[in-house]
Amino acid sequence: MTDENLITAHEKEAAGAPDTHAQYRLLPLVLLFVFSGLIFYAGAYLNRYSGHFSRDIFDERQLPASGQPAVAAIDPVVLGKRQYALACVTCHMPNGMGVPNLYPPLVGTEWVLGSEERLIAIVVHGLKGPITVKGNVYSAAAMPAFGQVPGGGYNWSDERIAAVLTYIRQEWGNEAGAITAQQVAAVRTAHPDRKEWTEPELLALP
Amino acid sequence: MTTVLPNQVPAGTDDADQTCGGPLLLLIASGLLWLVLGGTLALLNLIQVYTPAFLADCAWLTYGRLQAMQETALLYGWAGNAGLAVALWVLARLGGAPLRGPNYIVAGGLFWNLGVTLALVGIAVGDASGHGMFQLPRYVQPFLLFAFGAIAVPGVLAWTGRRNPTTYAAQWYAVAALFLFPWFFSVASVMLTFAPVRGTLQAVVATWYAQNVFSLWLAPVAIAAVYYLLPKITGRVIPSYDFAVYGFWSLLFFGCWMGGRLLVGAPVPAWVSTMAIANAWVVLFHHIIVFFNVRDVFRPGANTTLKFLALGMGAYLLSAVIDTAFSARALAVTTQFTHFQQAQTHLAMGAVALILTGALYHMTPRLAGGNWPSVALIRAHFMAYIIGFVLLVGSLAVAGWIQGSALNDPSVAFTQIAARTKVWLQLATAAQALLVVAHVLFAAHFFKLVGGQMAKCCATRGILTSEATVS
Repeated sequence: MTDENLITAHEKEAAGAPDTHAQYRLLPLVLLFVFSGLIFYAGAYLNRYSGHFSRDIFDERQLPASGQPAVAAIDPVVLGKRQYALACVTCHMPNGMGVPNLYPPLVGTEWVLGSEERLIAIVVHGLKGPITVKGNVYSAAAMPAFGQVPGGGYNWSDERIAAVLTYIRQEWGNEAGAITAQQVAAVRTAHPDRKEWTEPELLALP
Repeated sequence: MTTVLPNQVPAGTDDADQTCGGPLLLLIASGLLWLVLGGTLALLNLIQVYTPAFLADCAWLTYGRLQAMQETALLYGWAGNAGLAVALWVLARLGGAPLRGPNYIVAGGLFWNLGVTLALVGIAVGDASGHGMFQLPRYVQPFLLFAFGAIAVPGVLAWTGRRNPTTYAAQWYAVAALFLFPWFFSVASVMLTFAPVRGTLQAVVATWYAQNVFSLWLAPVAIAAVYYLLPKITGRVIPSYDFAVYGFWSLLFFGCWMGGRLLVGAPVPAWVSTMAIANAWVVLFHHIIVFFNVRDVFRPGANTTLKFLALGMGAYLLSAVIDTAFSARALAVTTQFTHFQQAQTHLAMGAVALILTGALYHMTPRLAGGNWPSVALIRAHFMAYIIGFVLLVGSLAVAGWIQGSALNDPSVAFTQIAARTKVWLQLATAAQALLVVAHVLFAAHFFKLVGGQMAKCCATRGILTSEATVS
């Protein structure tokens, strides 16, 4: 087929022959249905998971708040579990056991179950350098600051930090008291402009 | 296999081929050299995945840089050069006249390849931009843009100055590829390099660019080649051709929205990935129409070009289905960030490479004015390529699935995951090695053909000049 023929033959094909024999072509109808089906599915998917195209919504199942905000008591363990799954789980693992020699465990350790002020300080301001947990030294431990402090990348509110601390103190067989947002706020305001804590500094806290 | 005897000019060769032969052969030749180099780098890179110490002492060849280098060499070196040659050739043939301004191709081609070389050196010394598919260092980006512009000039002239006022599907796709690349390349260059947007918006731009490289540049070139070569070789009109136009516009309208699929779970507003997934479904309309149009390519036949086109088209359609299915959040949870995504990329890019290879089998003898010297080499290339390609995609997909399922299980340690996937990655390495063999065979065959023709041409000229001096 020469190039000239190729173009003219297809041009004729595209124009379509007059339908003198009343032969009904099924394909156009099928394609119309297929296209409508795809558009319908895409539209339904968008409608369901777009988060109303809000720039603040990162979870596709969440809808933007509208009108009067509903007031509901938040279970700190539920909120804490969610916060834990958002960030902490990466290093401390879903079972709270951490990674041997790299990330310290949270289960049954003196840091989690012991002094509340030290535990709050670690999460609010972060931690740097070697730390001994359950007799093992984690020499390259580095935990980012989660609180609303200068240089903190996560900017979690005091309520969220209190919730996640309550969660890790009461999960995996840990049994220690809940931590309140007021306690977190107290530690945060007591040490303004703080960088990451080191182990000796933490041990100096009550 | 082609039945034309060696050294016989293939049927259908005319002025349009002879005049643009040199410049287009230059593009193809450099594309094939990049293919061999990129394939080799990819092989080394794949070994590093499960042997982290391999080449780790040499800063130039560490995993991250090697990955960016092989990607750049294959994308801009091989697919860029060969794709441009195919697009220009299709436009010249359908324009019905010899290419005007072939020197633009030579100048642009030299600068394009100089740019890719510079990019690879730049990446090796650590100047990669860090965005997938767009690893080009900042000083290379304007260079490549202008080189592309120069190479595209004859294509645009062939389109605007075409003899026939009506147009054909292959022309739409080829022209779209020529016009759209400078658009999204310059936008990405400004938004990622020269006036970079802030924060996670960079990831959105980068995935948008990477999707466009495939959907608006390489895939249109490949589809143009299939639309042109299929009726040309079989002599049959494309069935249901009146729908081709919808297939074209659905790709152009919806294709560029699909990039955000890779951002599921990333810190971007939820609608970005939702929009991308929804569009991935709508783009299937394009694939359905292309399938209806070019389904003749799947008929069994003996033509080498058609065999490559059939496999390429099969990979293209399969890749669309797999990409759409695995963009769904329920499946992406397992496959995201695993070797499975590598398999998906190989399948999509491999589809383009297969189609370009098929087109080169058809074009080169016409451009060089002589036929492929060896049927055995063609067979060896075909077998090595197909086995390597299927094995590579298959083994990476299995490795990715194992890796993804294990990653979601907190009781499995990282070292266990590495041990479980190792055998599949070794299989992928063997496949990639086979692909390198295929690339070397193809390049060697190409240079044998073109070299032979050049020698013959020079010999004839030599006789003529010596006769002239004697008389």
